[in-house]
Amino acid sequence: MAVARPMRRTSPITFFLAAFLAFGFLFFLLSPSSSATTAGDTSQQRREDAADHPLSPPTKPFLKSQPVRNDGLKAPPPVVHYDLNKLTTTSDSADKGERVLILTPLARFYPEFWDNLVHLDYPHELISLGFIIPNTKEGSAALSALESAISKTQNGPIPSRFASISILRQDFEPPLQSQDEKERHKLENQKARRESMSRARNSLLFTTLGPATSWVLWLDADIIETPATLIQDLTGHNYPVIVPNCYQRYYNNDHKQMEVRPYDFNSWIDSSNAQSLAESMGPDEILLEGYAEMPTYRTLMAYLADIESPNPRRVIELDGVGGTALMVKADVHRDGAMFPAFPFYHLVETEGFAKMAKRLGYQVFGLPDYFVYHYNE
Amino acid sequence: MGDFQPRSQPALRRRRQLIQRLFLIGSVSLLLLVLIFPSWRATILPVVSLGLLSSTEDLQLQTVRYYDLSAVQGTADGWEKEERVLMCTPLRDASSHLPMFFSHLRNLTYPHHLIDLAFLVSDSKDNTLEMLSSMLGELQADSDPHMPFGEISVIHKDFGQKVTQDVESRHGFAAQAGRRKLMAQARNWLLSATLRPTHSWVYWRDADVETAPFTIIEDLMRHDKDVIVPNVWRPLPDWLGGEQPYDLNSWQESETALALAETLDEDAVIVEGYAEYATWRPHLAYLRDPYGDPDMEMELDGVGGVSILAKAKVFRAGVHFPAFSFEKHAETEAFGKMAKRMGFSVVGLPHYTIWHLYEPSVDDLRHMEEMEQERKAREKEEKEQAERSERVNTLFQDAKTESEIDNAFVRDDMETKGKEQKASEDSKKPEAESVEEMKADKSSKAPEQEEQKAPEPLKNKNLKDAEEVSAVKPAKE
Repeated sequence: MAVARPMRRTSPITFFLAAFLAFGFLFFLLSPSSSATTAGDTSQQRREDAADHPLSPPTKPFLKSQPVRNDGLKAPPPVVHYDLNKLTTTSDSADKGERVLILTPLARFYPEFWDNLVHLDYPHELISLGFIIPNTKEGSAALSALESAISKTQNGPIPSRFASISILRQDFEPPLQSQDEKERHKLENQKARRESMSRARNSLLFTTLGPATSWVLWLDADIIETPATLIQDLTGHNYPVIVPNCYQRYYNNDHKQMEVRPYDFNSWIDSSNAQSLAESMGPDEILLEGYAEMPTYRTLMAYLADIESPNPRRVIELDGVGGTALMVKADVHRDGAMFPAFPFYHLVETEGFAKMAKRLGYQVFGLPDYFVYHYNE
Repeated sequence: MGDFQPRSQPALRRRRQLIQRLFLIGSVSLLLLVLIFPSWRATILPVVSLGLLSSTEDLQLQTVRYYDLSAVQGTADGWEKEERVLMCTPLRDASSHLPMFFSHLRNLTYPHHLIDLAFLVSDSKDNTLEMLSSMLGELQADSDPHMPFGEISVIHKDFGQKVTQDVESRHGFAAQAGRRKLMAQARNWLLSATLRPTHSWVYWRDADVETAPFTIIEDLMRHDKDVIVPNVWRPLPDWLGGEQPYDLNSWQESETALALAETLDEDAVIVEGYAEYATWRPHLAYLRDPYGDPDMEMELDGVGGVSILAKAKVFRAGVHFPAFSFEKHAETEAFGKMAKRMGFSVVGLPHYTIWHLYEPSVDDLRHMEEMEQERKAREKEEKEQAERSERVNTLFQDAKTESEIDNAFVRDDMETKGKEQKASEDSKKPEAESVEEMKADKSSKAPEQEEQKAPEPLKNKNLKDAEEVSAVKPAKE
C-alpha cells in the first residue's frame, strides 16, 4: 500500500495519458471551427476556388461530386463569369493572391526537379502546374515517374499540395528520338528540335493558361536547383518578361572541386553583326547562338554574371531570352506572344518569343546575377 | 539492499517530477500556441496525431487532370466522334444582336453538349452583359435535355477602345490599323482564356450574322481543313442594289500586294477594300455564284473573322490573331497568313454564303430619312386629294339621275370588255406566277430588304454616299 501510492501519483504514463486525453478533448472541441479558420485556412480557400464542373479551366481543381437536376439528369455546366479586369500582376504577387502557372515541357523526370518545385515557398494554393510529355517510350517512363511524385504531393499535407496539375500528352512526334546532349546540340538538328519544342510549349500554354492566371513561369524539367523564393524574386521586379541566369554545377577535374559554369546562351543583347547576318539569310533560315559557323557577337547574359560579388537584383535589358527558367506576365501571352515554330525575324522558340513580345510593345529583362542550376548529364 | 533503495528514490522522484513538469509546461504552451496561432494547427496537428487525422482531410477536390492531345485532332465527322467545339464570340455593345444570335445558337444542329461557348464582353456601354447572362441562364436551364451547351465562359475585359462601334467609324480607313490590332488583342484574350485541351475545333462566330444554315458547323467540318471560312454577304435595300459582298478580308495573295507590302514600313497594316491599298487580290466574296456548288473550295491567304472554323491544333501550335503587323497584316488576315506560314491549309467556300446583318451607314440613314419624308409628303398629298374628291362628290350628289344613265352605259361596255380580257389573261397566268416566286425567293434570303424597301426606288441613287460601296470599288475595277 505504502509502495503503491507514490507509484500511482508519480507514474509518467498516467500523466501522459491525462495530458493526451485533455489535449484530445480540447482538439475535438475546437475542431469544428478549425476547419473553417485554420488547417483550414487553405482548404477552405481551395474549396472556394474550385470549379463546380469538370468542364472548367485546367488551372482550377473541380468538385468531385456533381449536382443533379430535378429530373435525375446531370445538371448542365453553369454559366461562369471571369472578370479579367480584376486580374493583377504586381510586385507583391503572393500578398495579392496572384496565381502562378508553372509550365514544363517534360521529356525526362528528375526527382531533384520535383523536390525543388515542392520546396518553392510561394503559397502552393496559388500555384498550378502544367506538363507536356512527348508520346514516346521515354515520355511514358517520365510520365509514370511524374504521376507517382504527384500523387505523393497531392495526398500529402494540404499546404504543400498544388492548386491543380494538368498533364498533356503531345500530339506530334518529336523530330529527334535522342535526348543525347551531343546529338541534340548539332546545328542541323537544332532548327527542327526547337520548332518542335515551340509547338509543344504553345500547346501547353494555350490550353492551360485559363482566365485566372497572373504569371506564367516556364521551368524546364532539368532545372534542379533554384532559390526557394524564385517566384517572389522574379515577380518582385514586376517586368513583363524576366529571365534569371541559368548555370550548371560540375566537378572540375583540374581544381578537384565542384564549380559552376554558364549553361543557357539564349539570353542575349542583340548586335549589329547578328542583324546584318540575319539580313543576308533566306526567309527560312534561323540564327542560333553558340555555333562557330555563325559568329553573332551578341552580348550573352551568361557571361555577364559577377560570380565574385553577385548582386541578384541587378537587371539588364535583353533582346533574346532562354526558356530554362522564364517568368512572363500572363497578359503578354494573352496578347498573343507565343513561341514561333517558324523563323520569326530569323528567330525561333524562346528567342522568337522575346522578339514577338517586343513587337507587341513589351520590354524584356534579365537578371545576370540571379542563378538557377541545370542538371548535369 | 534496504539501505540502497530509499537513498536512490528521492533522486529518481526529483527527476521524474522535473520530467513531468517539463512535459506539462510543454503541452500547455503547445496548446496555447495552437490557440493563439490558428495557422500552426495545420503543421502541428498531423505531427501530434501521427498522421491519423490527415486521412479525414480529403478536400473532395479533383486536382490532377490528364489529357491526350492526339485524341483531339479534329476529323471530318466530328459530331459522330464526340469532338468538342469551342465557339468564340467577341461582343461589344451588342445587346440588339443578342436575341438573333441566341435563336441561331438554339437552332445549331451540332450536338449542343459538345459545344463550349466563350464570350468576351469588352467596353460595352449598353446592357450586353446583363442580357447575355440572363439569356445564357435560360439556355442552360432549358427543359429540353438537348438544348444546354457545354462549358460556358463569359470573359470581361475592357481594352479601353476609344473607337466607337458604329458602322461609320468602324470602317473609316484611318482607324483601321489600330482598330484591327485591338480587335486582334480581344480575340487572343478570349481564346487563351477559354481554349481547353479537350477541344478539337474552334468556331469563331460574330454576333451580327443574320442568316446562316443551322448545319454550318458540320458543313464546314466536313471539308476537314485546318482553317475554313464561308462567303459572307449582306442584304441591302433595293435602292442600293439588293445585296453586296460584306467580308473582303478573305482573299488570295497577289503579286501586286506582295510588292506593295515590300514598300511599307514594319508596322504598316494593309487593309482590304480601301482605295489607299489597291492590292488586286482575288476575293472570296466576288467569286460567289448563287447557283454554284456550295462545296467548291478556294485556297486563301487572308481570312475574315465573321465565321471561321479551325482545328484546335492550329491554335495549339501557336497561330493566333497578331495584334502587331505580321507580314503587313493584322487580326484575322494575319491569322490566315500565320496559319499558312506554319503549313496549315486555309480555304474558303465561294458559293456557301452566310448573310451579315445590314446596318445602315449614317449616309444610308440620312437617305432613308429623306425617302421617308418624301413618302409622308406624298401620302399627305394623296390624302388631301382624296378629301378633295370626296368633297366634290358630295357637292354634286344632285346629279344622281344623270350619272345613273351614264353609268348604265359604262357598265354594259365593261361587261363585254371583261369577257375579252379574261380569255387573254388565262394564257398569261403561268408567267406571272413564276415572277412572283422569284420575288419570294429573294426576300427570304434577305428579309431585312423588304422592311427597308423604299416605296419608290430613287433614280439618282448616289453610290458614293454609301461608303461601303466606294470602299469596294478599287478592287472591282
